[in-house]
Amino acid sequence: MPSIWTLQFRTLSVPPSIVICSSSNNSHGSGGGNGVRIIRNGISKWCSLITTRTNQLRQDSVNSVAKFHNHLFTSILNPPPPPLSFLVNGDGGMKYPIWMCVVALVLFVGVRAFAERVFSQRNHRPGSVADLVRRGQLRSDRRGISRPLKYEDPFNNPMVKVGKSNSTVEMCGKVYRLAPVTLTEEQQAIHQRRRSRAYQWKRPTMFLREGDTVPPDADPDTIRWIPANHPFATTATDLDEELAQNNVYQKHGVPFRIQAEHEALQRKLEALQNEQKLKKAVIDPATAREFERPFNSLAEKSSVNNQVPDSKPSKSDIGLNNLEGKSSSQED
Amino acid sequence: MLSLHRLPGVPTAKQPLFPSTSTFTHPPRRPTCLFPQSKTLPKPPKFHKSPTALLQWNRKPQLSGETPRVVVVTSGKGGVGKTTTTANIGLSLARLDFSVVAIDADVGLRNLDLLLGLENRVNYTALEVLNGDCRLDQALVRDKRWSNFELLCISKPRSKLPLGFGGKALIWLVDALKSRTEGCPDFILIDCPAGIDAGFITAITPANEAILITTPDITALRDADRVTGLLECDGIRDIKMIVNRVRTDMIKGEDMMSVLDVQEMLGLPLLGAIPEDSEVIRSTNRGYPLVLNKPPTLAGLAFEQAAWRLVEQDTMQAVMVEEEPKRGFFSFFGG
Repeated sequence: MPSIWTLQFRTLSVPPSIVICSSSNNSHGSGGGNGVRIIRNGISKWCSLITTRTNQLRQDSVNSVAKFHNHLFTSILNPPPPPLSFLVNGDGGMKYPIWMCVVALVLFVGVRAFAERVFSQRNHRPGSVADLVRRGQLRSDRRGISRPLKYEDPFNNPMVKVGKSNSTVEMCGKVYRLAPVTLTEEQQAIHQRRRSRAYQWKRPTMFLREGDTVPPDADPDTIRWIPANHPFATTATDLDEELAQNNVYQKHGVPFRIQAEHEALQRKLEALQNEQKLKKAVIDPATAREFERPFNSLAEKSSVNNQVPDSKPSKSDIGLNNLEGKSSSQED
Repeated sequence: MLSLHRLPGVPTAKQPLFPSTSTFTHPPRRPTCLFPQSKTLPKPPKFHKSPTALLQWNRKPQLSGETPRVVVVTSGKGGVGKTTTTANIGLSLARLDFSVVAIDADVGLRNLDLLLGLENRVNYTALEVLNGDCRLDQALVRDKRWSNFELLCISKPRSKLPLGFGGKALIWLVDALKSRTEGCPDFILIDCPAGIDAGFITAITPANEAILITTPDITALRDADRVTGLLECDGIRDIKMIVNRVRTDMIKGEDMMSVLDVQEMLGLPLLGAIPEDSEVIRSTNRGYPLVLNKPPTLAGLAFEQAAWRLVEQDTMQAVMVEEEPKRGFFSFFGG
């Protein structure tokens, strides 16, 4: 096996000169003092170490070559194993860094997933402003309004700076020249007099539709004639003035019209019930229950209509349904 | 545009409008001196009455006049910015911690709810209150951004308001707001419809003071003069003017009347001059008033200043006329 030997010596990385030297040491014999002896001992130690090492290496190499042959033989006989298993099953020197890399990769992925989950929970906390924006309840462009501006006043702040001579002002980065206002009170009074001469006007207090007759005690200057086909305004009103004023001043309770409608429907219902009582000496309990409960299904209504010939109860039902709808919207 | 503030009623003629002292910071209302003579800026007084946590401003303007101050925002001509002004000044006042009720008195063509982004929350109007379908507190729409701002619409689109007591109805509404259990509002702003028709008459009925909106063009000025005359005939003497959509570049090129020209023609004290700003359209479309923009825009700042003056019943003493050319390194060489 000379080829293997040379191979082994090269892999040892021990210079061959030392080996030669060791062989020459033996030839020198016992010459010199203590120092020479120490050196000789050291060299002999080195030589012994090297020889043991070379022996070990030779054995290892023989083993490794045998292993390689074995692998080669098995690989030819059996189907080729996966490359990873080859690496894993290989030598311990190669296995360790690969395992380290795999563990590091798994750790990195785990930490990243955890961090993502934490941040996403922070952003999409249910009920938070970010969550409202995400769900479309709040418009993102209208946010940030409540953050206060912190400057002294609108006349002296980082956006508005007046020049030293008071003749210039810097606003939003642009410098403007200032000019004094010269309007005096006398000039204001002159303008007022001019306008009072030019515009003689009395505020109209009476609005009449074109074609209406003028009331006898009305000042003709305060009458404003409204075209009959005025698109938005109307002079006719079915609402009493005092009642409207009371409605405006009402602070608590049910609004007037809601209450009035409710009472009217209640009266109608009572009247209907009385009428039923008069008509029928013996009250059918099932029919009475139907009157007491205005919100019925269509099937029930049809059965009531079949029993009672006039359609008044169904009208009241509709009315009450409307009222209910109004009151529910009122609560909103 | 920025003002040198003065006390109302103090004649401005023969007064040095630009003294050497710095007077641009808003001084507290002083009965004695018009302009402080010291070089240092006057420190505003601290108002400890209002809770500072609610205030976004470091100080608050001093409310002048009796509350509620019923202010009608009118113009005569349409499209000059009445509703925009009402929305922005209203919200500015609310941010200054004053309680504000804005009434959209434009019967047929209401838009204030859109500008404020409250269009989906208007279920009841004043018409339903009059009819007895709901109470007044149910018809008031509270802004969620600034809870001391409330909106009241007079009627729904396409509904008819009985004109027989249109003006009276607004007076009742103002009276009812005064006697509310949660307290009387500081400001009631009435957004007036265009024109001088029945809607205008209704809107001005309960008002004590008026803000006249105009643009620097002759059509708007003629209408503004007419409307001012009608307001004065009706007994509203406290009229202040806001000149909207001012373009300093056009003024410099003498293609547009300056704010001072407008004032000379109308003879009204200036509450504010709002520069033309593309952000106005953007904010209108978003339903997000300009004064809430962050960072503040040029027009938004001007509205804030106008609101501040309105609170203190103050007027402008100096106006922005043109943009100064930038003095760069190459300006000497004509660059």
